[in-house]
Amino acid sequence: MTDWIGKYYLIEYIQACGWAAVLAVAATLGGVVWAGALFFFTTVFGRIGRVAVAAYVQIFRNTPVLLPIYLVYFGFPMIGIVWPAAVCGCFAITLQQGAYVSEIFRGSYKSIDRNLYDAAQSIGLSGWQIFSKITVPQVIVYSLPSLGSQVVLILKDTSLLSAITVAELMMQAKRTQEATGAIYWPFLMAAAMYLFLTLFIDYFFARAQKAVRWR
Amino acid sequence: MNTKSTHFRFRINALTTAVIMFFAVALFGVITQASADTSNSRYDAIVKRDKLIAVTMTTIPPFAFKDEKGNLVGFDIDIYKLVARELLGDKEKIEFVGVGSAGRWPAILTGQADLGIGTIYMRRANNVAFTYPVMDTSINLLVTKKSGITSLADVNKPGITVANLENPQMKDRANRFFPKAKTIILDGSAAQLLAIKSGRAQAMQMDTAVNDYYAALNKGELISLGAMLGDMFGNGIYCQPGDFKWIRWLDTFVQELRFGSLYADYREIYNKWYGKNPPPQRHYLENN
Repeated sequence: MTDWIGKYYLIEYIQACGWAAVLAVAATLGGVVWAGALFFFTTVFGRIGRVAVAAYVQIFRNTPVLLPIYLVYFGFPMIGIVWPAAVCGCFAITLQQGAYVSEIFRGSYKSIDRNLYDAAQSIGLSGWQIFSKITVPQVIVYSLPSLGSQVVLILKDTSLLSAITVAELMMQAKRTQEATGAIYWPFLMAAAMYLFLTLFIDYFFARAQKAVRWR
Repeated sequence: MNTKSTHFRFRINALTTAVIMFFAVALFGVITQASADTSNSRYDAIVKRDKLIAVTMTTIPPFAFKDEKGNLVGFDIDIYKLVARELLGDKEKIEFVGVGSAGRWPAILTGQADLGIGTIYMRRANNVAFTYPVMDTSINLLVTKKSGITSLADVNKPGITVANLENPQMKDRANRFFPKAKTIILDGSAAQLLAIKSGRAQAMQMDTAVNDYYAALNKGELISLGAMLGDMFGNGIYCQPGDFKWIRWLDTFVQELRFGSLYADYREIYNKWYGKNPPPQRHYLENN
């Protein structure tokens, strides 16, 4: 049994799987918070906010995520900022996913019934109260289905962090392949673990959607 | 009803995933079996195809890299072209498959490429068949001048970071020569170079020829340390194992290249990329 675990590098794969999960959670939290900030910017700062955020979204949506990953990891030390590779990776994915998720928030915001705002104003709610009690809860609920897909994409984006030394699943697969000479099974093991993680994400968001929609 | 529906959806997803995984494994099994079929020699397939397919990394000067015009050039590339000339009568009857460090072995084992050139290690020889060495090689360290590193002893310190590739040989050397230093793993020499130039690492492990080339390009900034990490190695041509006709042809090619009828070509290529003559054709001949 022990031989079998050692032969297939199971312990290392499980550690790498854990890393992929941690990175995905960190990048998701970062991405959602950053997207929330961008969304807040667009709703509060009017035309200037919308133009600035639209420009940001265009830049990050139209460049491959590997680019910010490389820029942060290799570029920041040149200006004296030396973060660990995992932090650089999460930060870069956060920057990119913030752009995508802010668009999801924007779409959800557009689908809120405008009459609710008239009603809120008529009973004397302040701007902040309308934002926190009407806008944010509904944006979150309407965003959940798309967010589920986006989190799966974030998880898959973490596979690119092997390019900057992060010991996640793809790195483990490549190292196992180099060490054993095997062609397929190191990558099939990684694929199976990614599937396990994505199924978990799918299940989590399916439950979350049911929980909020029928309350 | 809602919880049931969620569970039902999850079961459907799990079922779909299991079916996809089954077909993926079955497909890979078929491909593996097909690639392992060596009843027909690769040699015959290449002659019939009238084109040689070589796998190579594309960012390891002076072995294989893109010049300013975007053409793939280098010592390995010239050797591949010589193989094409000797096998098919035309050095241009060749196609290159560009991969990263770890992608070389699958490209050969799955039959995507006919041959490659790489450092010979016994662990690698368990998976691919190597010829005799095309050239002698060694591994050393490329360091930044500002790091103050002048010897191997300077590298073996806690504050030093060394950039490696994924292969286990680099890990073994790191454990042997600088266990106190931190190591980071990247997927190619270009990324390693970026790591030491950006300050992520102070040194990188690579073939001495590659490090010498980078040091020459970055005079005053990078230094190729003279000390070798271990002994000399050989860079050999590799191909699928179990194909006697093809490996014998390649071995004969290498033998003629280094010691026989192709030595003049070898000397020219060696001079072109290393600026000096290769080891003599026969050690016991004086004017050689």
